[in-house]
Amino acid sequence: MTGGRNRLLAALGLVPGVSLATLLTLFILVPIAAVFLWAFAEAWRYPSLLPTRWGLRYWEVMLARADVWTALSTSIALSLTVTLLSAIICLPAAYAFARMEFPGRSALLLSFLATQAFPKFGLYIAIATIFFSFGLVGTFAGVVLIQLVNTLLLMIWIPVGAFQGVDRRLEEAARDVGASPLRTFFSITLPQAGPAIAAALLLTFVGTFYETEGAFLIGAPHVRTMPVLMISLINNQLVVQYGAVLSVMLWVPSFLALLFARKILSARTIAGGLGA
Amino acid sequence: MALAAPILVEARRFPVGLLLVAAPMLLLVVFVLVPAASAIVSTLTDPRSGGPSLANYRTLLGDPLSRGNLFFTLGSTLAVCGLLLAVCLPVALYLRFSSGRLPAFVQSVAVFPLFVPGIIVAYALIRFLGPNGSLQTVLDAIGIHGFRSPYLTPAGTVIGLVWEGIPLTLLILLSGLAQIPNAAIEAARDVGAGRLAILTGIILPLIANSVTVAFSLAFLGAFGAFTIPYLMGPASPEMMGVFMQRTFSELRDPAQAQTQAVMSFLFCAAVGVIYVRSVIRSRRRGS
Repeated sequence: MTGGRNRLLAALGLVPGVSLATLLTLFILVPIAAVFLWAFAEAWRYPSLLPTRWGLRYWEVMLARADVWTALSTSIALSLTVTLLSAIICLPAAYAFARMEFPGRSALLLSFLATQAFPKFGLYIAIATIFFSFGLVGTFAGVVLIQLVNTLLLMIWIPVGAFQGVDRRLEEAARDVGASPLRTFFSITLPQAGPAIAAALLLTFVGTFYETEGAFLIGAPHVRTMPVLMISLINNQLVVQYGAVLSVMLWVPSFLALLFARKILSARTIAGGLGA
Repeated sequence: MALAAPILVEARRFPVGLLLVAAPMLLLVVFVLVPAASAIVSTLTDPRSGGPSLANYRTLLGDPLSRGNLFFTLGSTLAVCGLLLAVCLPVALYLRFSSGRLPAFVQSVAVFPLFVPGIIVAYALIRFLGPNGSLQTVLDAIGIHGFRSPYLTPAGTVIGLVWEGIPLTLLILLSGLAQIPNAAIEAARDVGAGRLAILTGIILPLIANSVTVAFSLAFLGAFGAFTIPYLMGPASPEMMGVFMQRTFSELRDPAQAQTQAVMSFLFCAAVGVIYVRSVIRSRRRGS
């Protein structure tokens, strides 16, 4: 009697969880799954629930296109440049914010929130107008600069947290046994802060790779990144599979990379990188 | 030697710290503050006389199309924020007060869009919701006809932006909920408070700051969005992002584009200030 009631209660307790799981799966996962189906469909006539002919023909077509390879190398070159510059500019600053005393320290750290406190595209238009008068529109350098602004908050706030989390006693112990400040930094501080910094670098690289709006506004028409190429494929969607193949091709590696970042950084840290 | 070293460090610390943070500060000033200030000043200046002028703003607000776009953007943005909170608050509460495999699954599905770039989201949703897309196919197969695709309608933009916004809103709410001590809720339960009383009397006041941060980030994100409205929204009325891009790149009218940008800043100013203040407040409390 009580056993049956308990089981009923247990089943009722699952209702909110099961319904949330179902709704979120339908809304979030199913559209992405549809893209995967399209990428491996050679033909998919309308009333059919699944592709009418499967195959890799469109992968061959896409991989043979010169514009895909040009866009890919542009995107990789851009992301590497931006990540490297961002690291050189932001990591020493993050160390200073975390570990040094100087006037205005916390106010300056908070001032990076300004990058998030504007409606983004409005800010891009304001930047683009200035770039226009300096002839930076349509150049690689222009795209690098506008994307660099985007990386500041994340590349400073996540490493600041990492450097603050380093156990000072270990550093002091190393100094006590005679290690130089530099040696202490490279043997004690960096290894402890390293994983979070690596994750921040990864997030910056992937974020830049997929950054669409700055690249579209500043890069056009000469600098075409992968996302900008995707926009043109979506706008002239004569062949559905082109976009699908490109999406799957681009997204799977980034997804794996981000899962790796997620292992190091808690969701809390990622949200913290945005000031939450 | 042991005595001299700390003094040396003390003496050097002040300039070194400032020097190290100078580079990103410079970027911030040159690429955020200067462009924003220059947009404000130049749109308020008469190009011929150099004196102050409201002509740009008169043009913008005198044009019914521009005015329509501005209020359409505000309406869509509020719809996105409302939907995001309506979806994420129940999910966050469920995740905070349950444990096991099912909640873990719910959380990973809800956070999943964080790992999907906007451009791929737009493409996936077009294939899913568009005419003859997957959703219509499935509905037809189970005998529901007359599906009207939200693609290229205002609803398309809202759906896309909600899809994109779920993870961040949820994570912010969750980090707020994580700071509520279980003891507070148990104590309330012990004195006989019902679920609703606990929610409105204890939980909501304690996460008010997180809700504010979530709302303001969602608002700024939607108001300043470009990719999703450009690919999924209607051609008219347009969201401000699309309108500004078209004015800048196609109509080649940087002055009007800047005026539109400054109008967007104005609409978002209060929210931007609220965002920064709430973050400062939650950091003070946290540390």
